[in-house]
Amino acid sequence: MSRKLNILVVDDDAANAESLAELFSMDDHRVIVAYDGQQAVEAFSLNKVDIGFFDVMMPNKNGVDSFIEIKGTHPDARVYFMTGFSADDLLERAVKGGALGVFSKPVDLQRLLDTVEKEAA
Amino acid sequence: MAEYMMSQDRLNDPRVLLAILDNLPTSIFVKDAEARFVYSNNLHCEMIDKAEKDLLGKSDADFYAPEVAEGFLNHDRRVLEQGEVDISEEMAALQSGMTMPVLTRKARMVGPDGKTYLIGTNTDLTEIKRREEQYKALSDTVPIGIAQVDENKCVSFCNPLYKVYSGGDGTEELQNALLDKLGKGHGGFPGEACKFETEFSILGQPLRSVIVISSGWLTAANGSRYAIISVVDVSEMMELRRINAEVSRLNKELAQNMKRLKDAQDELVNKGRMEQLGQLTATIAHELRNPLGSVRTSAFLMERKVKDKGLGVEVQLDRINKGVVRCDNIITQLLDFSRTKQLQCAPGDLDMWLSGVVEEEARKLPANLQIEVELGLDGEFVPFDPSRLQRAIVNMMSNAAEAMMGAGEQLHTHDGEAPKLVVSTFQKDGHVSVRIADNGPGIAPEVMTRIREPLFTTKSFGTGLGVSAIEQIAAQHGGRLDIESVIGKGSRFTVWLPIRTVNLAEDEKAA
Repeated sequence: MSRKLNILVVDDDAANAESLAELFSMDDHRVIVAYDGQQAVEAFSLNKVDIGFFDVMMPNKNGVDSFIEIKGTHPDARVYFMTGFSADDLLERAVKGGALGVFSKPVDLQRLLDTVEKEAA
Repeated sequence: MAEYMMSQDRLNDPRVLLAILDNLPTSIFVKDAEARFVYSNNLHCEMIDKAEKDLLGKSDADFYAPEVAEGFLNHDRRVLEQGEVDISEEMAALQSGMTMPVLTRKARMVGPDGKTYLIGTNTDLTEIKRREEQYKALSDTVPIGIAQVDENKCVSFCNPLYKVYSGGDGTEELQNALLDKLGKGHGGFPGEACKFETEFSILGQPLRSVIVISSGWLTAANGSRYAIISVVDVSEMMELRRINAEVSRLNKELAQNMKRLKDAQDELVNKGRMEQLGQLTATIAHELRNPLGSVRTSAFLMERKVKDKGLGVEVQLDRINKGVVRCDNIITQLLDFSRTKQLQCAPGDLDMWLSGVVEEEARKLPANLQIEVELGLDGEFVPFDPSRLQRAIVNMMSNAAEAMMGAGEQLHTHDGEAPKLVVSTFQKDGHVSVRIADNGPGIAPEVMTRIREPLFTTKSFGTGLGVSAIEQIAAQHGGRLDIESVIGKGSRFTVWLPIRTVNLAEDEKAA
């Protein structure tokens, strides 16, 4: 049996964030939703986060800056990025900073669920 | 002969001879050894307005002022005493007060009576002088140097302009020297009739470009030969011609520069537009993909929720999913087209990479499309940007598949062959090529002329950016895209990439 995860979904697009949250919830994971980079940093400090799915372009700190900051306090943070279109250098920084991967939007959900399942195994 | 004999007889009659003398157009007079008139024909009488009877026995001293008469008498004496023939041009003062140019010839003769006489003639030069003046005025005023050249190639006469061209004070020596200069390199000159262009410079004068014309040898009344040469100064014309050539050269240069400027301007504007388009597209991509994401996720959630409930909405959900994919593809094409950033080229085994790309893309194409791969690069490493080149390959493959797409999802070819794509690579002239050939319907000529235009499409869907993106990607690699097609046989898209590309950005990165 796979364990239940604490998943942080970060996206300034509420519909996106909430539909993904619902998707993960259906598999009985606990989902925390943040709507910008700053909230993501706060969510990490307040909760034990097993895995994060971060949008890149967001107001109040972009996903990559927020991730780099989180890495400072949580070196083991496991984060994937989701992007519609981002400057390549930003994604490069994310990958160099230890991001696990990048999903392009609209996200291939089967791949997403497979990824979560692997984390939970 | 009888007539002739008769004339001879008549000539023996002095009256006939006198009548002849009176009708000559020359004035004739005879003076004795003391310079007294002993004969005057009619014309002479007319000229000096005296009847012969008033003349006979008189001398010039009887008619002219002493100093004038003395001048005439000196001449007469020289002829009478020394026997020299005196020829002089003079102005004969007519009794009427008019003057007349005459050629006077005086000679000594011994009459049948053994006495010495002076026989004089005056020939009226009025008409000759008039013509001479006309010719002189012409030769003095024409803008042409004219010279008469004798058989020894010496100038025997020339007009003032020829003298000017000769330089200095226009001495005979200088005139002949000019003749030599003009004839340099023209063997037949001046004896052969000819016309040529030449240049000469005389100390103290600017270089002259001239046209030289020679009449060739002409024969004078006395049997001697002479040639008339004309020298036409065309320096100004040549200068104008040179200026004209310079102006047209400058004009050409100006046109070229303007074209260059316009090209640069166009490029700048185009670049600016592309940058704007790039920003716009990035924004659109970002803004559309978020809602597309939530549409896809929501459809996915619905699918789960209605599963096994027999609501029969699977088809609708499938349509939603396909719509999302199509929208996403359009966004990708827009991004491809507007991407202006530097390629990320790295040398790689093109064949190996290509087979992976084709295999992945083949899965997305209709199953009944046969795909053949013929790789011919033998592991050649070629610098290329994998993500960009993949975009070009995918575009070529999906275009080919779509070209063969009939109604629905059924592929068709013209002659009923199985629909087939051949992906091949080969090397030629320092380039490698990736070719995608299909056996579809081919490209109509009117489509072919526009196929590379951005936004041009024959499909009922799609952005019309596919082919221009392929071309752009090829060009960014320093290569090109060739498109060939035969109606009813199929089409071939070939991307040529240079084997060695100098990518400074890459070099810097490597350093």
